[in-house]
Amino acid sequence: MKHILKLHVNGEEFEVLAGTNKTLLEVLREDLGLTGTKRGCDLGTCGACTVLIDEKPHLSCLTLAAAVQGKKIMTIEGLAQEGELHSLQKAFVERGAIQCGFCTPGMILTAKAFLDEHSHPSEGEVKKAISGNLCRCTGYVKILEAIISVTKDS
Amino acid sequence: MKEYDIIGKPLPRVDGIEKVTGQAKFTVDMAMRGMLFGKFLRSPHPHAKLLSVNVEKAKKLPGVKAVITRDDVAGIRYAFVDTPRYPADETPLAVDKVRYIGDEVAAVAAIDPDTAEEAIRLIEVEYKPLTPVFDPEEAMETGAPDIHEPFELGSKTEWEDWGVRRDRRALDWRDAKNLSGRTSVVFGDVEKGFAQSDYVREDRFETKATAHCALEPHAALASFEPSGKLSMYLSSMGIFYKRFILAKALGLPISRVRILKTYVGGAFGGKIDLFPYEFCAAFLSRMTGKPVRFELEREEVFTSTRQRHPTIIHIKTGVKKDGTILAQKTKFIADNGAYRGSGAIVVYLGHAFSIPVYSVPNYHYEGYSVYTNNPIRGPQRAHGSPQIRFAVDSQIEMIAEELGLDPLEIMLKNARKKDDILPNGDVLKSCGLSKCLEKAAQTSGWKEWRGDRAKRTQERESTSRYKRGLGMSACSMFSGAPFYPFASSALVKLHDDGSVTLYIGATEMGQGSDTTMAQVAAQELGLQLEDIRVVSGDTELCPIDHGQFLSGGAFVTGNAVRLAAADAKSQLLKLAVEILGADEPDLGTKEKRFYVRGNSDKSVAYAELIQLSVQRNNGNPIIGKGSMKAVQEAEFYPSLAKAKGHFTDAYGFAVQVAEVEVDTQTGLVNILKTVTYHDCGYPLNLSIVEGQVHGNVSMGLGQALWEEILLEGGQIQNPTFLDYRAPLATETPKMISGMVETRDPGGPYGAKEVGEGSISGILAAVANAIYDAIGIRFTRLPITPEKVLEALTLPLSPKGKGKV
Repeated sequence: MKHILKLHVNGEEFEVLAGTNKTLLEVLREDLGLTGTKRGCDLGTCGACTVLIDEKPHLSCLTLAAAVQGKKIMTIEGLAQEGELHSLQKAFVERGAIQCGFCTPGMILTAKAFLDEHSHPSEGEVKKAISGNLCRCTGYVKILEAIISVTKDS
Repeated sequence: MKEYDIIGKPLPRVDGIEKVTGQAKFTVDMAMRGMLFGKFLRSPHPHAKLLSVNVEKAKKLPGVKAVITRDDVAGIRYAFVDTPRYPADETPLAVDKVRYIGDEVAAVAAIDPDTAEEAIRLIEVEYKPLTPVFDPEEAMETGAPDIHEPFELGSKTEWEDWGVRRDRRALDWRDAKNLSGRTSVVFGDVEKGFAQSDYVREDRFETKATAHCALEPHAALASFEPSGKLSMYLSSMGIFYKRFILAKALGLPISRVRILKTYVGGAFGGKIDLFPYEFCAAFLSRMTGKPVRFELEREEVFTSTRQRHPTIIHIKTGVKKDGTILAQKTKFIADNGAYRGSGAIVVYLGHAFSIPVYSVPNYHYEGYSVYTNNPIRGPQRAHGSPQIRFAVDSQIEMIAEELGLDPLEIMLKNARKKDDILPNGDVLKSCGLSKCLEKAAQTSGWKEWRGDRAKRTQERESTSRYKRGLGMSACSMFSGAPFYPFASSALVKLHDDGSVTLYIGATEMGQGSDTTMAQVAAQELGLQLEDIRVVSGDTELCPIDHGQFLSGGAFVTGNAVRLAAADAKSQLLKLAVEILGADEPDLGTKEKRFYVRGNSDKSVAYAELIQLSVQRNNGNPIIGKGSMKAVQEAEFYPSLAKAKGHFTDAYGFAVQVAEVEVDTQTGLVNILKTVTYHDCGYPLNLSIVEGQVHGNVSMGLGQALWEEILLEGGQIQNPTFLDYRAPLATETPKMISGMVETRDPGGPYGAKEVGEGSISGILAAVANAIYDAIGIRFTRLPITPEKVLEALTLPLSPKGKGKV
C-alpha cells in the first residue's frame, strides 16, 4: 500500500509516493537520489546509513520513512552550508581521515551530532561516540585526530 | 636524501571533497532507468547432487523478466587461476552438484528486489545430499569424498593466452585427495641442515578464515548497448583483470566489454575474483535487453564472496646456538573451500612471503591447497603472508626462549640484507629490514623491557591481575607481480592552460591511488596537485593497468605515470630551450613556467609552449605516455608449482611490535600500543602511507584477537557485523607508524609497496606479546578471551610454560 509521505530533508520539503514498509534509507537513496547515505549492511550494524533526525543520529536502515514525517532530516548532502564545508568535513579532508569514503558520511554526521552536544570531549568519549560506525580502512586513527582537531579549533 | 616539492608531502586526497559531501559515486549508488534487479537462489546444502531445478512457477510471476539455471549457462567455466595444470573449476550457476552452503543455483531478474526475492522462493530444486568434508586434513585422506571430479586434461585455459605453455602438459600431479594446488620448493639440503643444528624444533600453527569487511557490499550494474557492447559498473580492484576474465566467460571480444569508473568502498583483496553476480548481471542484461543490477546482501558478502584462507602450518626449524637458522621445513595447508579461488596462489605465496625475511640456507617447503565444502577463499590483504609470518615468528620466539636468547637478536642475525639474492633469483635492491628491527626495538623500549630475562620471568609468574608484554614480528611484501595484465601504462594530456589530465587504469578503492599518482605527475611536470585531474578506473578511456593487487600500485603504475609525465615534460622542454635560448640543465620550473635559473625574468609559460607546439608540430598538443612492466625480467606468469621465475622487482619490509596487557581474570587482551616501522622505499604521500599502516594494524589486531568466520557443518554462524566483529573505534590503540627510507632504485622516487605488508607482522607480535605477559604460547588464532582463560586454568608444566 503506497502513501504520499511528506519529508523534510536538508531544509526542503519533499512528497514521495512510497510503501509504508519503506525505510528512510530506501526513500533517501531511491526516491530522492540522495545516495550519500550508504547501505553497508541494512541491519543496523555498520552505521554507514546514519542521518540526523532532529539533530540526533539515527540509523536510516532501521527507520521507517513514514515514521519521520514532520521531523527535520539531515543527510550528508545537507551538511555544507552555501558551498562552505562544515568544519568536520574540512578536517576529514585535511587530516587524511578518509580512505574509501564509504563510512565517511555516516561517520561525519555521527561526529557532528556528538560535537554539537559535547564541545570539548576526551579522546575516549569521541571513540565511544563513533563506536557504532564501522571503518575498515583507517583503523580510526586519523578519524579520531580529525574530530578532535575540530574541538580544539573551536 | 633528496626532498621534493610535491612527492613525499602529506597532501590532502584529491577525492576528499567528493567523499565528505556524499557526492562520490560507488557501484551501489549507480542506477539506470528501467533497470532490473537480480537475486540468487543459493544452495542450503554443503554438498549435494543437483537433481532438478524447476523454474516454471518463478517465470510466471508478474514482474519477473528472466530466470536462469545451469541449462542457460552450460559449458561456461572461469576461475581466478586457469592453467593447464589448474583448469577453471567455477561455473556461473551450479551444474552437477552444489559444493557449499551459498553456492548459486539459479538467478532471477525482476522489476524490483521484492519480486526477485519472491521468484526465488518459487523455484523448486531437488537435491540429493552427499557426504561433505570440512576439515582440510580429512579432505586429503584417501577415503574422503571427491568434491570435484578429476579435472579435464587438454581443456582450453585462459592463462595460455599470456605465456603459460601447454608443452609441459599437466599430468595428474595430485598426491592426496581433493587437492586444488601444490607448491614444492627445495634448496640446499634440509636434512643435513637439521643434522648440523644445535637445536631443532617442530610446531604446528593454525589460522582461521577471516572476512574482508569492505563496507561497500559487492555489487554490479550491467547494460548492453544496442550494438552489443557491454558496459559495467562493478566494485573491483583490477578492472583490466576483471574485463579479461569476464569477456572470456561471456564469449565477447575484450573490446566489447567496458568497465566504468566508480569509487570502490574498500576491497582488501575481496573484490578481485570474478563473481557469479557479475557474470549473471551481464548475462541477464543481454538476455532481457535491460540494465541489470545485483547488490549482495551483507550476509551474502560474508557467505558467498571470499574469505582469507584458514591454514594449518607445520614448521620445523634448526638453528645454531647463537640463533643462526640452518634449516627450515614447512608444510603449509590452506583450505580454499568449495572452489579453487586463489588456493593455488596462496600456497605459492606462503613460500614467497617466507623467503624474503630471513636467510635460510637449507629449505624445504610443501604447500597444499585443499578443496572442502566450506565457503570459497580468495586473496585477502597480504594473501598468505599473515599466516606464514604468524607461524615463523611465533616459532622464532619459542626458539629464543629455549636458547636463552633475545628474539630480536635472532631476527637481526638472520634478517635479509640489501643485495641478497633470493632462491628464485629476485635481488633485494633495497632492504631496510635490519633498520626496521632496530627502530621498532628502540621506539617500543624493547631492550629495556625484554632485556632482563629473570625479571620478566618473575613478573610473568607473579600473582598480579594485569600482566604486560611486548612481542615482535617481521614481514615482507611484493611491489607488484607478474600476473595479468603484467604492466601499467599512463597518459598525460596537457591543456591549453598548462594543466594536465592524467589517464590511468588504476582503481581508487580507498588506498589513495588517484592522489598519489597525481602527485607523481605534478612533481615530474613541476605543477601543483590542483593542476592535475585524474581520469581512472575506466577500461575504455584509460590505458592498461596492473591492478590493485599484490601491492603494485605505487611501484608499477607510479613508474608508468612518472615516465608519461617525463615524456610530456621533455616535449615542453625542447621548445623551452629553443624559446629561451638556454641549455636544458639551466632551466627550472615554477608556476607552470620554465625559467632560466639565476635569471627568473627570462621565462615562458607552459601554455605558450603548448600553443607553439600546436602551431609547429602539426597540431601536436603534447601528450606524454609511459609504461612499465610489473617485473622486468619475468616471462609473464611465475611457476606456481615450483615457485620459479621472478616474483617481484622490489620487496617492502615491515617490523611490528605489539604491547599488550592481559587481564588474567577475564582473559581479555588489551592492546596498549603498536609500533610499526615500514620500509616502503619512500612514502609518496606520508599521510596516505600512514593511513595504510593504521588500517593494516587495525585489521591485524582484529584477526589476532577475535576475528574468525565460525562454521558449523559448512554454515557460517556469524555472517553479520554484529557477530563477526571488525575492530571498533573503542578498540583503537595508540599506533606508532614510522618510515624507514631505502629508496629502491627501481621505484618511482624510490617507492615500494605499502598497502598490505604491515598487517602480517601484527599476528605474531600479539601472540609473542601475550607469551611475554603470561608465559602461554598460543599457536591457534584468534587468541580470544575464552582461549586465554582456558589456558590460564590449565595445569602448568614444570617449567611454567603452557602451549595452546
